[in-house]
Amino acid sequence: MEKQVIQSVGFRNTKNDKGEITGFQFKVRLPYYRGIFLSQIRPGTLFINGKKIEKEQITWIIDGEEFTNEEMAVDFHTHWSTSKPAVLKVKMAGGLAQGYHDLKYGFCFTSSYMPPIIQSNLDPDKEPFVFMPEFGHHVNERRLLIV
Amino acid sequence: MYRYEKKGPKRGVALYSYSAEFGLTKTLEDCFEDIHDMGAHGIEILANTHIENYPYPTDEWVENWWRLCDKYEIVPVEYGNWIDSHVLGDRDLTTEESVEMLKRDIRLAHRLGFTVMRTKMPVINDLLEPVENWREIIKGALPLAEELGIQMCPEIHTPSNLKGKLVNDFVDFIKETGTKNFGLNIDFSVFRTEFKEGEWVDPNYTPNKPEDIIPLLPYIYCCHAKFINMSDDFKETTIPYEEVVKVMADNGYEGYLLSEYEGADKYDEGYEVGQTLRKHHILLKNLLGD
Repeated sequence: MEKQVIQSVGFRNTKNDKGEITGFQFKVRLPYYRGIFLSQIRPGTLFINGKKIEKEQITWIIDGEEFTNEEMAVDFHTHWSTSKPAVLKVKMAGGLAQGYHDLKYGFCFTSSYMPPIIQSNLDPDKEPFVFMPEFGHHVNERRLLIV
Repeated sequence: MYRYEKKGPKRGVALYSYSAEFGLTKTLEDCFEDIHDMGAHGIEILANTHIENYPYPTDEWVENWWRLCDKYEIVPVEYGNWIDSHVLGDRDLTTEESVEMLKRDIRLAHRLGFTVMRTKMPVINDLLEPVENWREIIKGALPLAEELGIQMCPEIHTPSNLKGKLVNDFVDFIKETGTKNFGLNIDFSVFRTEFKEGEWVDPNYTPNKPEDIIPLLPYIYCCHAKFINMSDDFKETTIPYEEVVKVMADNGYEGYLLSEYEGADKYDEGYEVGQTLRKHHILLKNLLGD
């Protein structure tokens, strides 16, 4: 696993059963010191080459199981480990073109032991007021190649 | 199963210390070996971090856990868990749901050979006061904890004070229920006296004197031996370690002191927290004799 939140391994176009390219995927690791339940995740916005991708186009795959944002929000039983990156699957007919792509994605997570005032102001698309390395950055960027 | 029979306070390591390296440059076995190198015998894990497929590890993983404990002469001391009552955004878990979450951790802690749990409570304000139903949640899990020999211990951490309301409430609860399955984990940050010039200090914080711990010792089943700054001649420069350890040893403390390092510099490129832990263990070994 790489130190960066957005992993270089796992970035590729995805195909359906007929072999048609239906989108792309990439992996993110959890930059926290403990694993979390899915309902703790606050998914933010994905930008590819500066273009916003709607949340409805994105699903998360945790340990092989696929979840929409709505499904994650109510699931406090499925656990996401710090040592297994999640796969983010993005629907986009035709996928991404060969060459470099700038990925920018924001997400954060809640913690029951932090004061509620900090929790209610969490914004996955903005950096926290005070950066704490053990909570990681909310917004992460990486430039990666599609073959 | 490995046993360590030394009398008095014993040395251990909280794996939280490795948070910047675990899963990236260190495996679970690397951490065990590092602790073995230090001659320490106790370990604290964070359930949600260090147990693969938490909360449902495979039998193979559990077998490997026992193999590591035997190979590196490690005693499972403290199992770090969270009562995550605020896990949902739109409502708190009910008392029953929180109890179920806690009982699941008690069973898993027991399966891995732990006897103490650092049970982190969900909080409701900046003073880190626990949720109002904490007594009901703990009471709901006490029969199982008793059956499996588990002691649940919230951590008392700066800015809390050993003579403050939070500790008083916990002690009152222990006295009222007469339970031996709920106690305290004292984090040595409560004894810190030295701060860097200009360093932010919580206005709610007042340092405890080492002897403040004496009346609480019957309820303390584990300690986080928090350290902030180790000098190159192996002294901790911010907490009166010699006095604290002496007071505990003289007054019959038999539990573990688990080294916990949370300095943000451990996230710096190339930082090896194991070397910082070793400095701390030179200090502890010289104070404790082993």
